[in-house]
Amino acid sequence: MPESSEPPRSETNSTTALPLAGIRVVDLTWIVAGPTCTRVLADFGAEVIRVENQQTIDSIRFGRPHPHGFDPPDSSAFFNWLDRNKKSITLNARHPEGFEALKKLIAVSDVVIENYSTYVMENWGLSYDDLKSIREDIVYVSLSGFGHSGPDRHYSTWGPTAQALSGLTAMSGMPGMPAAGWGYSYMDHTAGYSAAIATLSALRHRQVSGEGQHIDLSQVEAGLVLCGPAILDKTVNDRSYRRPGNPPGNRAAWPKVAPHNTYRCQGDPKPASSWLMITCETHDQWLACAEALGHAEWATQDRFATLPARLRNQDELDALIGAITNHHDARALMEKLQAVGVPAGVVQDLPAVVHDDPQMQARGFTVENEHEVIGPHLTDGTPAHLSRTPAQRRAGGPLLGQDNDDILGDLLGYSEEERMELLINGALG
Amino acid sequence: MGALSGIRVVDLCDPKGQYMGRLLASHGADVVKIEPTGGDPGRRIGPFVDDRPHPDRSLFWWYYNAGKRSLAVDIFRPDGAELVRRLAASADVVLESFLPGALAEVGLDYDTLSAGHPALVMTSLTPFGQTGPWAHRAWSDGVGLALGGPMAMCGYDHVPDMPPIRPTENHAFHIGSHFGAMGTIIALIERTAGTTGAGQYIDASIHEACATTTEAGMPYALIEKQALLRQTGRHAAANPTEPWNYAASDGPEVNIFGMPRGDANFLKLVEWADDSGMVGNLRDPELMDGRKRQLGISQDTVRMMLADLEAFIASKPAQEIYRGGQDRGAAWGIVNAPDELLGDPHFHARGFWVDVEHEELGRTIIYPGAPAKLLGTPWAIQARAPLLGEHTQTILRDELALEPQALSALLGAGVIA
Repeated sequence: MPESSEPPRSETNSTTALPLAGIRVVDLTWIVAGPTCTRVLADFGAEVIRVENQQTIDSIRFGRPHPHGFDPPDSSAFFNWLDRNKKSITLNARHPEGFEALKKLIAVSDVVIENYSTYVMENWGLSYDDLKSIREDIVYVSLSGFGHSGPDRHYSTWGPTAQALSGLTAMSGMPGMPAAGWGYSYMDHTAGYSAAIATLSALRHRQVSGEGQHIDLSQVEAGLVLCGPAILDKTVNDRSYRRPGNPPGNRAAWPKVAPHNTYRCQGDPKPASSWLMITCETHDQWLACAEALGHAEWATQDRFATLPARLRNQDELDALIGAITNHHDARALMEKLQAVGVPAGVVQDLPAVVHDDPQMQARGFTVENEHEVIGPHLTDGTPAHLSRTPAQRRAGGPLLGQDNDDILGDLLGYSEEERMELLINGALG
Repeated sequence: MGALSGIRVVDLCDPKGQYMGRLLASHGADVVKIEPTGGDPGRRIGPFVDDRPHPDRSLFWWYYNAGKRSLAVDIFRPDGAELVRRLAASADVVLESFLPGALAEVGLDYDTLSAGHPALVMTSLTPFGQTGPWAHRAWSDGVGLALGGPMAMCGYDHVPDMPPIRPTENHAFHIGSHFGAMGTIIALIERTAGTTGAGQYIDASIHEACATTTEAGMPYALIEKQALLRQTGRHAAANPTEPWNYAASDGPEVNIFGMPRGDANFLKLVEWADDSGMVGNLRDPELMDGRKRQLGISQDTVRMMLADLEAFIASKPAQEIYRGGQDRGAAWGIVNAPDELLGDPHFHARGFWVDVEHEELGRTIIYPGAPAKLLGTPWAIQARAPLLGEHTQTILRDELALEPQALSALLGAGVIA
């Protein structure tokens, strides 16, 4: 097997064309789910224009951390991270001239995306039919909790709501305890990814057919999609996930294998990095694991020799392994197990992933970025490395309204005088 | 017709990457799943129909390979690899998830496949990417979520010494496959938009995908070098916060993270509690400030509000709390088991659930539907997942023009199945 050679091409210094260059996105999204979708599009070169306003400022602009002090709307490192590579203009869509400018922008754009409550766009007079009359081949993407049809379409979600309703929360935790759930809005990410995949597919279809369309994403449905086998267990075997023993903690759900758990290593158990995930999915891995832990004899004892026996005696097995790992440094033991081919991984917290992980460093996962308020800072990579047209980090998150002149002037043709008038009239508020 | 109709995909992925091909297939791409003659490892992952393990009865296999066709061929034998090379020569996309270097040994790597076929888009989805010191490490979904960062943010704080918790259902597979699929479609768009018609190679790392899928965890790590505290059933945060899941009278917990920002809606909740004789301190003027009702930021007003809401929620069944909250503008939700929305009228009205014919069992099975409804080019499960080698002979005969004798010889030699 060839040794690993060159890391992926540096993405900051790349001078290659961006793969989505020429695609313009009117980004009406806020919070996390919508901006996650447009972050993907922006990283790969779409011109993403955030349309914001001064009255209802995106709450992520207030989101912590604020490395140089709380001074919104431009001091949030969270916003800067999520909304990098995008532009920002301010328009008051309730002002007739602001609304007119928004329609002009839509007329020269390829995608309109929003994650408002389901009645908002229609109330503004920007339903899909309205959008189509402005730009016939527009791709209109709506992200909402429950979708734009159905009796509960006016219900709403945050990430944790969608995770709860879809079953994702309940599938994370120790048996017999309340759900541990997800420690962040996983469904904001994955609704965003699902929207990005749908948007990209629709753009590809438009490329060959000339047709736009409406994409109607429900965050709850996007969550249900991630629970497929568990739902099929009900529709095929009539067995609900809600039963004793579920969720299985860090033991294997499917395939059922053992050992498969997190084991406490030396030191304070509070930091995640004191825990080591060990998962033996094959018999060879089990043999290697037992030997590396200094107990090759386990592999020949009746209680552990076969997978059914290990599953039957999993409490005993986990206790024995834990009694050994307790005396080892988690990282050192990971190296020892990995050296003999056992899937083992420290539960790394994100500072470790970002700053100390040899794999991430070798791959150049973090790169320098710039921001007027936050200053030079690190940002993370894009996990899909395209060999010829990679993603690029070109800018930090936009200052609120920083691109008003460029977009209204250069793109939409408002003269300096007209722009001043818009400002004075409150259309840019 | 799906949005990716006309795109031809050769899918060499093992379970970690099979969702990529599934996503493309559901948008109308023609996906040929290449699997070992003894069956893909995904066919051995349960649960199974009637708990009877069998290559054609794995619900994991069903779900992640629906809409694909199966070509069972041993790619580690020269004759087998040659068949896949010929198939790839007319494909738009090749998807794979082998350890870096493994496909080069059998002549199925990007350099070989694209040599006479520059339009090819090839995506490798691997645990750590193609390069770096960990590229060949032993891996599993659990190890991926541990090393990548998501798991450190999930767990418990109300009981001491609890481990971080891995959310189950193979989300490292999902997270990686999402990025693999995005990269693939982006490359297809670029290929058509560009002047040369060339495809490209995509190196997708699940480790990187997991790391970037951690919301506020990432900016805190990048900028402050600070790890967030994992806390029971809610977001990890820089400081301890108050719980937001509370048990209803019939048992299930209800998530009330989504407190109304607007005072009018909050007042509706207060009146509802009052009408139920459970108002407690909910009429305290302090609570008339939306920012002070926001969960995830610890403060006295939130604690006071939650103490009363906890008692109120415990007094009514979960459905009543959920719908009563939502009807009053609160984004509340029941902590359901994944199968518990199957009977919910809303998702039926939207046509979310889809019927998939399993004629091999004489049954029609309900599957979860689209992650996003494309109203112009509907998402669809084109067919149930293929039986082992179900399309081997038709593909080789109709698409590679193999003669019957050649087919028999390959079958007899065990190169195909």
